Amino acid sequence: MNTRRKFSGRFLDPASTAIFAVAAVLPLLVQQPYWQGVLVVALYYGIMAVAWNLLAGFAGQFTLSPAAFSLLGAYTSGVLNFHYGLSPAVGIPLGVLVAGLTGLLLGRISVRMRGPYVSLTSVAFLHIVSIVISNSYSITRGDLGLQVPDLFGLSRVGYFYVFLAALVLVQVLVYQLLRSRAGLFIQALRDDELAAASRGVDVTRWKTVVFGISSAMCGLAGGLYVHFIRLASPEIGTILQSGLVVTMAVVGGMATLAGPLIGAFFIQVASEALRAIGMQHMLVFALLVILSVRFFPGGLWGFVEDMLRKPRVPAEPTVAAARERVGP
Amino acid sequence: MSLLRFDGVKKQFMGRTVLADISFAVEPGELVGLIGPNGAGKTTMLNIMTGYLPLDGGAVYFQDRRIDNLKPFQISRLGIRRTFQLSKNFPRLSVLDNCLVASEAAGVPRDVALQRAEEILADLTLLRLADRPAAELSGGQQKLLEFASCFMTDPQLVCLDEPFSAVHPDIKRIIFEYIQKRNAGGTTFLVIDHDVAIMRELCRRLVASSAGRIIADGPTQEVLQNPKVVDAYLVSEV
Repeated sequence: MNTRRKFSGRFLDPASTAIFAVAAVLPLLVQQPYWQGVLVVALYYGIMAVAWNLLAGFAGQFTLSPAAFSLLGAYTSGVLNFHYGLSPAVGIPLGVLVAGLTGLLLGRISVRMRGPYVSLTSVAFLHIVSIVISNSYSITRGDLGLQVPDLFGLSRVGYFYVFLAALVLVQVLVYQLLRSRAGLFIQALRDDELAAASRGVDVTRWKTVVFGISSAMCGLAGGLYVHFIRLASPEIGTILQSGLVVTMAVVGGMATLAGPLIGAFFIQVASEALRAIGMQHMLVFALLVILSVRFFPGGLWGFVEDMLRKPRVPAEPTVAAARERVGP
Repeated sequence: MSLLRFDGVKKQFMGRTVLADISFAVEPGELVGLIGPNGAGKTTMLNIMTGYLPLDGGAVYFQDRRIDNLKPFQISRLGIRRTFQLSKNFPRLSVLDNCLVASEAAGVPRDVALQRAEEILADLTLLRLADRPAAELSGGQQKLLEFASCFMTDPQLVCLDEPFSAVHPDIKRIIFEYIQKRNAGGTTFLVIDHDVAIMRELCRRLVASSAGRIIADGPTQEVLQNPKVVDAYLVSEV
């Protein structure tokens, strides 16, 4: 898939723009507080799915630790508020910083690893973070968690727009990153690290950077989320949470821009809607995921892209079109 | 001052000596062929000089600067470009983006890089494929694309690992003529290949290696007639 051909807009790709436009009016259509809450949680997962997709889909680093960085973001803001009374307006940015710096460290450690070794390292990292937080009772109150305040008394609709703004922000950042020379290097090292190095790309540097950016984004998600649920708990950072994020990105369309957005909404809303059928809902949900991966291997958005793909123009010289897409 | 100099380079794999004592130099503007039977250590030399393998003894110098302790990307940025036996491109990036990776890494302004890419791709018959993902190219076109990427930054030394193997004669001719054109413009080449006919026509100087040692080094015709080279390599080739 020629990903850079999608980056022809100036600010954001058309599909993401359309999704955000639809999302912006959802609170007008969804009035029940329960479903408004479901949508907020979908946006939370959306931020993490976009962040994970940057790392795994575009940079080729298949990690399983997005929930660990969300946990770091959540607990940074939670602990600072609980013990020092620091406002979320300070705690959340600090959570982003802590998650980002820890991500840089993990990236540096993983730099010589590939494939399953990166995944295993990230799982180990997730467990370390989770165990440290669970066992640091004097700071984190262990499994009891920390009660934290809400975000400035926001309503559910208010939370929806805060999370939506955060999701738009990370999507714009990812889009602009992928349009830049850094985006070219990141995708090059995904395809072939040896080839990238032979072309002069500092693989260590860009791998580390993309780890840091993705982790910071997950930290933002966790920082916001903890003030939505008002409880900093180790449950935020379980392997199941990471698995859910990965599932969302893969079902939506890995290495596509719109895929993680669609996947997050689809999985979260479907999961909640299926609760109505009772105890079997997880079984049906799992089956749904298996079927979507089986029949849409490129993800839901990948399938849509294939359907929309125009016949290729073998024209002479397509370099003009390529130049336009690459930008000035 | 030599452009490239191998100085007593040694390399072992699992206790087996692959390079025993390799010393030779490449001067600016030369077009040197490196020949030898399979297992002679030619690609190992290339991997050592481009930072992909550590050496066990000796040193490699580029413009009198020791480079065997540098990383591949640092060596690339010094102006040494290479291709691999099996083409290494970025399959999900377009042909044009494949070219731009090298120029962006070297800080070439985008306008200059696009102009250069257009010229190189036109010369190598890939221009009409500029917007295609590299994964859609044939094996020969992949070879051309990797070769094209070498010239996005005005390299000082281009090292080609079997550029003529397993490609259509038309593509061989395109690569051959482009090497000649760039060499006439001052670019230095070190070419590894088994096609003796092409190497004879292309290179003015050959370095022959066998069992990890240089067995001959000199004008092409002399090396090809050297009894050691004939014994070690050319019995079935000439």
